[in-house]
Amino acid sequence: MANVLIDGLKERISNAIKINQSIGIMLPGSNYSDLVQALFEYINSKPEEAWVYVTVTKPYGTLVKQYEYLLEAKNIKFIDCISRAAGILRSDSNCIYLESPSMLEKLGLEIMNIFKEVDEDTEKFLVIDSLSNLIIYNDAEIVTEFFYHIVNRTRAKDIHTISLAIEEEGLEKHLNRLIYLNDKILKVRDSFI
Amino acid sequence: MQEEERLIVDNERCKTGIDELDIQLGGGIPTGSTVLMVGSSGSGKTTLCMQFLINGAQQGERGVFFTITEPLFKLTKNMEGFSFYDKKLVESGMVNLIDLRIISERLGLDTEKYTAEDASALLDILRDIADELNVKRLVIDSITALCYRLQTPEMIRDFIFKLGSSLAAMKCTTLLTSEVPPMTFQYSQYGIEEFISDGIMFLGDLERKGDLIRTFQIVKMRGAAHSRTKSAMSISSKSGVELAPLLKSRE
Repeated sequence: MANVLIDGLKERISNAIKINQSIGIMLPGSNYSDLVQALFEYINSKPEEAWVYVTVTKPYGTLVKQYEYLLEAKNIKFIDCISRAAGILRSDSNCIYLESPSMLEKLGLEIMNIFKEVDEDTEKFLVIDSLSNLIIYNDAEIVTEFFYHIVNRTRAKDIHTISLAIEEEGLEKHLNRLIYLNDKILKVRDSFI
Repeated sequence: MQEEERLIVDNERCKTGIDELDIQLGGGIPTGSTVLMVGSSGSGKTTLCMQFLINGAQQGERGVFFTITEPLFKLTKNMEGFSFYDKKLVESGMVNLIDLRIISERLGLDTEKYTAEDASALLDILRDIADELNVKRLVIDSITALCYRLQTPEMIRDFIFKLGSSLAAMKCTTLLTSEVPPMTFQYSQYGIEEFISDGIMFLGDLERKGDLIRTFQIVKMRGAAHSRTKSAMSISSKSGVELAPLLKSRE
């Protein structure tokens, strides 16, 4: 059952990102782990592409413990926005640790700096995991402004974006406004997979 | 106005080498300008100035950094942490690091307070060094510490004006760091430096959710149609100083 679910998610992501510059994925918290697994498996199957994964949800250390193959992956770089703020100090060649998830301008710079080092012909992808968690650490207005900047900058550089939004009570208004900036919205429901 | 007679070479720009900053300046600092780099302690003035010199040296422009606030060994130790800091450029003489306090001592100047004659002697030596080394970029870190030794506002005014005029004639672009208290909106300690300078760049802080975000703003730049927007400034060992659009909370 789990494999069907993950495969279904991978297929939806693959189909959507092929024809859209940016996709937003809205999902209930209960599907979060499945979606992240699907994303990492999808990324792992595309060694010729360059991916930047911004995590505001789980520390990089936790992610690589769960998905060990990420340690060897050459096509993905992480930006961890939460470890430093939580007092977790580690150094990894594959991950940039941001001082705080409220330093959004710095986050924007780090994203673009990683892509600057990627060969021009390589297809580039950005994952923001997640907009809902960015709103926990910042005012919704400022996250909206940040996301506008990022979407516009990545579009200008032909970088695809996948942004996750975990549905939470009280955040719908802000998340709807953010997520509809994307070219395509995927709503994850068990029944649709 | 005497200040406006200062020679700023038309249309020639001195690229800082910091992409976003050069865009904001419309190509770079007008060559020959004297620019005040204002900020509180730890705001990034020294790093930005050093990056300006190193980037210039990489383009073949020789530079000199006069330090008054910290000894050379400390300055170089701090700078070695940045990947932009190319030691070879220092060793080859493209970037010259000089401790102004040692020069003052060698000239026999009083280290605490300068007389008019002392100031004149120091000015001559600065001009001679700039001329002899044929530098196109010069930094004094900090002008505040130097002004502290000048005893009257007139001496400060006269010193900066004469220094700027001589260096402009050599087509040398000068950055003077100015120390101000944190979270204040003033450009200098003595209230004179900003009126004699051709440009002012302000390095500040903004508090967001308890975190301090570095900010950068060009307040004034004679001879350039420059941006006046406030930017976020980042300092990292990998990239040095970088600027990004500042997000403006509506709250």
